Amino acid sequence: MRKAEKEDTSRISYYFRRETGLLLVVTVTGILYNIGMVAGPWFEGQLVQYLCDILGGRRAPAAMLRLAICYVLTILFVQFMRYIKRLYVRKFANNISKRMKMTLYRNLLYGKQAEHEGAGAMMTKLIADADACVEGMRKFTTEVFDTGVVMVAYLAMLLSYDWRLTLLAMLFPPVAYFLAERLKGIVTRNAAASKESGGRLNAATLERITNGLTYRVYGQEAAQNAAYEAHLTDYEKKAVMANVWENAMQPVYQVISMLGTVMIIWFGGKNVLGTGWTVWNVAAFSSFFSCYKKLAVKSSKAAKLFNAVQKARVSWGRIQPYLASVPEEAEQPLLPPAPLAVCGLSFAYPGQKPLFTDVTFQAEPGQIVGVTGEVACGKSTLGRLFTGELPYQGRIALGNAVFPSGGGHWGNQVGYLGHQPELFSGTVEENICLGKPGDIAPVLRAVCMDREVAELPDGPRTRIGSGGVRLSGGQQARIALARTLYHKRPVMVLDDPFSAVDMETEAQIYENLRQWGRDSVILLISHRLALFPKLDQVLWMEHGTVRVSTHDGLMEREERYRMLYESQRKGAEANAE
Amino acid sequence: MRSETSVTRIIGGTIRASKALSALLLAAIAGSVLFALLPPLVLEQIVDALAERRQVTVSLAAGYFLLVAASGLLDAAKESLITVFGQKVTHRVRSAMSAKLLRLPAAYYIEKEPGVTASRFVNDVNTVDSLFASGVISMAADVCRLFSILLVIFTRSTGLGLLLLAAAPLLFWMTRVFQKRMLAAQMESRMAVGRTNQQIPETLKNIRTIRVFHREDYMQRRYGDAIEQGYRAQERSNFYDAVYSPIVVTVSALLVGIVMAASAQGGAARSFFGMSAGTAAALIAYVGSFFDPLESIGMEIQNIQSAVAGVRRINEFLREPEREAGAKAPGSVPAGVPAVQLSGVSFSYGKGEREILRDFDLTVQEGESVLLAGRTGAGKSTLVKLILGLYEPEAGQVRVFGTPPAGIPEAEKRRWFGYVEQQFHPVPGTVGDQVSLRDPQVSEEQIRKALVTVGLWDTVQDLPEGINTPCGEGLFSQGQLQLLSIARAIVLEPKLLLLDEITANLDSKTEAQVLAALQAASLHRTVLSISHRLYEENGGRKVVIGGEAPL
Repeated sequence: MRKAEKEDTSRISYYFRRETGLLLVVTVTGILYNIGMVAGPWFEGQLVQYLCDILGGRRAPAAMLRLAICYVLTILFVQFMRYIKRLYVRKFANNISKRMKMTLYRNLLYGKQAEHEGAGAMMTKLIADADACVEGMRKFTTEVFDTGVVMVAYLAMLLSYDWRLTLLAMLFPPVAYFLAERLKGIVTRNAAASKESGGRLNAATLERITNGLTYRVYGQEAAQNAAYEAHLTDYEKKAVMANVWENAMQPVYQVISMLGTVMIIWFGGKNVLGTGWTVWNVAAFSSFFSCYKKLAVKSSKAAKLFNAVQKARVSWGRIQPYLASVPEEAEQPLLPPAPLAVCGLSFAYPGQKPLFTDVTFQAEPGQIVGVTGEVACGKSTLGRLFTGELPYQGRIALGNAVFPSGGGHWGNQVGYLGHQPELFSGTVEENICLGKPGDIAPVLRAVCMDREVAELPDGPRTRIGSGGVRLSGGQQARIALARTLYHKRPVMVLDDPFSAVDMETEAQIYENLRQWGRDSVILLISHRLALFPKLDQVLWMEHGTVRVSTHDGLMEREERYRMLYESQRKGAEANAE
Repeated sequence: MRSETSVTRIIGGTIRASKALSALLLAAIAGSVLFALLPPLVLEQIVDALAERRQVTVSLAAGYFLLVAASGLLDAAKESLITVFGQKVTHRVRSAMSAKLLRLPAAYYIEKEPGVTASRFVNDVNTVDSLFASGVISMAADVCRLFSILLVIFTRSTGLGLLLLAAAPLLFWMTRVFQKRMLAAQMESRMAVGRTNQQIPETLKNIRTIRVFHREDYMQRRYGDAIEQGYRAQERSNFYDAVYSPIVVTVSALLVGIVMAASAQGGAARSFFGMSAGTAAALIAYVGSFFDPLESIGMEIQNIQSAVAGVRRINEFLREPEREAGAKAPGSVPAGVPAVQLSGVSFSYGKGEREILRDFDLTVQEGESVLLAGRTGAGKSTLVKLILGLYEPEAGQVRVFGTPPAGIPEAEKRRWFGYVEQQFHPVPGTVGDQVSLRDPQVSEEQIRKALVTVGLWDTVQDLPEGINTPCGEGLFSQGQLQLLSIARAIVLEPKLLLLDEITANLDSKTEAQVLAALQAASLHRTVLSISHRLYEENGGRKVVIGGEAPL
């Protein structure tokens, strides 16, 4: 068991807890920085006061130098704290994002959702949600300090200078905040309308161009341009509205907040002259003044904190069910070579009549068993039962080990190659090894591809593109076969491995397969029967029943099998001529 | 027709067309620059008054507030006007581009991916928008702000002015370096994110292989590595982001510290830096806002750079070679002339390409039904496109009712000829729109008649809203879409019907339906077709292009 599995990955506290170290750094630097923020206005006030005193001859000029040095050093320290904090908040967000995405991905790998349709689109949405969630957590962590702590610090400083004036001046920012909340609806409505209109415009653009020739042939181009012009006008209007509302609001809030400065200039001025509530010097006035301005700006941003948290919460609700920890299965040691025994195997897709019933056969290690039948007889499904992904009735056993039915894992005792080559974007070597180091030369030789691979620009290190697009269909199929051989298993199911190679190569690969599979049982599913005379057994599937025999036996007794084989042979001969 | 146009000309045109707006915009920019300067000057007065122990006047307190308010409002006005102006320009650019669509030759539509052309309209024009919103205009405003602050500082303290003058280029250089590195890191990170996201569909596609070989661990590692790569790039960007503003704040603190220390000294230093207490308060406020425009200018340079590429692509589009305008044609279909007449027509798709038609003659009299036969690639479809006026012959003449096809008035086209395309091209809108193409001269009755003719009326009537049912994916089968295509061609009763080869894969029952519709549509019409099946049913004249067709 890994450590990650012991904890509940579907709780948000898990992600915060895992980053305790980073959070500690963020907390310490965040508090130091934000408390230090009041140092700026305080020092600036002092600087003005000192200058005032020195010019008035009440203080020696040397004092200013000391103060200035203190000021610069303090700012340096505070800003350094800020740098550390910013850096670590981002590190914290990156780590959480990685952890969440890895958990989502692990769920995809081990969970059931990969089998559902639309899983890809859902994953894309989930990842976008994870991003939104992390963004919310980052903003929250940032703003707790940059808005929360700093506002408390500013407020404390203001109150310590003059609590009555502070209360008076502080009447205004909440008004601005209240107004912002009331007007937010208009701003978002206009923004949404503009976005919608933009979407319509883009769709109209693409459509106008895609059907350009149709419109030309039918003489509708001018009419289409007129309709497009209407879209343009609508978009221009909506975009301007959205933008004006957004731009217009910001200064209005600021202006309202700044009404407080009038109070400060008037009553603060009285304080300096000694006719106010308390006694101030010029320094106090300056500090109070600039501190209030900073607080006003900050308080207009407080709403952002709540919005970020709100958004993150919605996203979190969506991804949470997919963040549960899934059990990972450990890789089990391969069983020693043993006979494969299949007994009374039946299968039906849910709600349908059985595809086949009562399949019974045995095979010794080193044997190759052919499986064939008409199109849609169920031979591929029979092969897929050996991957353990479908539930079935009956029994499949390797020696003494019985494979459980019903979508369980079989400790990976079966190798499987399906119709699709299922290649990854990466190198030839990566596609074969899938992260298991080893020598790929033998398997490349076995699939008759060693020379072709050597001739690729970078040999086995050549990147084959998404899904292997840079290779031909035959090459893709053989790389997939090479991969199946590389990951050798006691039982190997190969579904139509030769469909994209010529007869001669097919015969060559077959011989190699014989050598390679001396201690494995190989099930060879195919509609091409050229090799079947050489196989140890052949399963002929027709109308839901399966006859187990050899090629010769089937030629004698199964009319359809014989016809199929003969017609393919004739076709091959005609081609050879 | 003046076709030589470019984004620059369009901008010029916009300025000329909206003089009042342009003037207002200029005034707003000037106003916002000016008013941003004033509040600290009032603050200077206030602090000086207090230092001299004088009462602050009401007008000073109110003045300070009003100036701050005016500065904020002017700033908002500036931003809004920039948006209005930018939107006007992008509207005009898009209009010019859509006008250009009319003049593009058919070959352009065939050769260029629609998505690529659409991206000229959408993405590239959006960069033009950002050229205004956060590019040239705001940069001009920021430069003005920078210099005006500097100017005011010089009037108060020459020393501080010189210090800022020395620090500004250094800081600006640092800003640009940081921004460039951040951009590079962000691009890298975005690419890595793309790679990471690509792994999801790949995993789903290959899930069986992953599970059979128990390679979940390996896939997790790959996914983790991809994320990690993105983060390493992101961390670099984070570093610059995190360190930038602390550096700027520290530098401005340093400058303030130096000036204050120097002002406090006696002698030459004081006269060089010297100032009153009020001036000190004002200057601290100025220094604080001096570096904001510096940072903005850096961003604006970046926006302009990316917009330039967009503008270049738009200009290329506007300069694409155009098709020739046809001569004026009579308003109604002339009688007594051959429906189609090609004489000595030669054609190839571009220089050096294979010659598809050579000295080709064909006359189709009114009321005739003619089949064009020939091997694939012999030029049957090309011939139809020449008659439609989509291409011009290199030599010889093409006449439709005695008129060059390009000269047929747009609104009249559908009365002259109807064209059944190889594939049905759906248009957005209702079922009726599929037939009318939203053409206002098509009446509902005409739509009904066309649908009856092709045998689709009953099907359409059974739809929830009849012909007003929105036409979506899966509403009609392949064969029914083909019928709609025929209805679209005949709805305005054209004199001539052109039938292209129908490529849709139809089962025999549907094919019979389509054939019956074609038969009904060609009744009492001149027909030129490439459809063998119709010829087999209806007979007519057969014309072979490029040698006898096999079988």
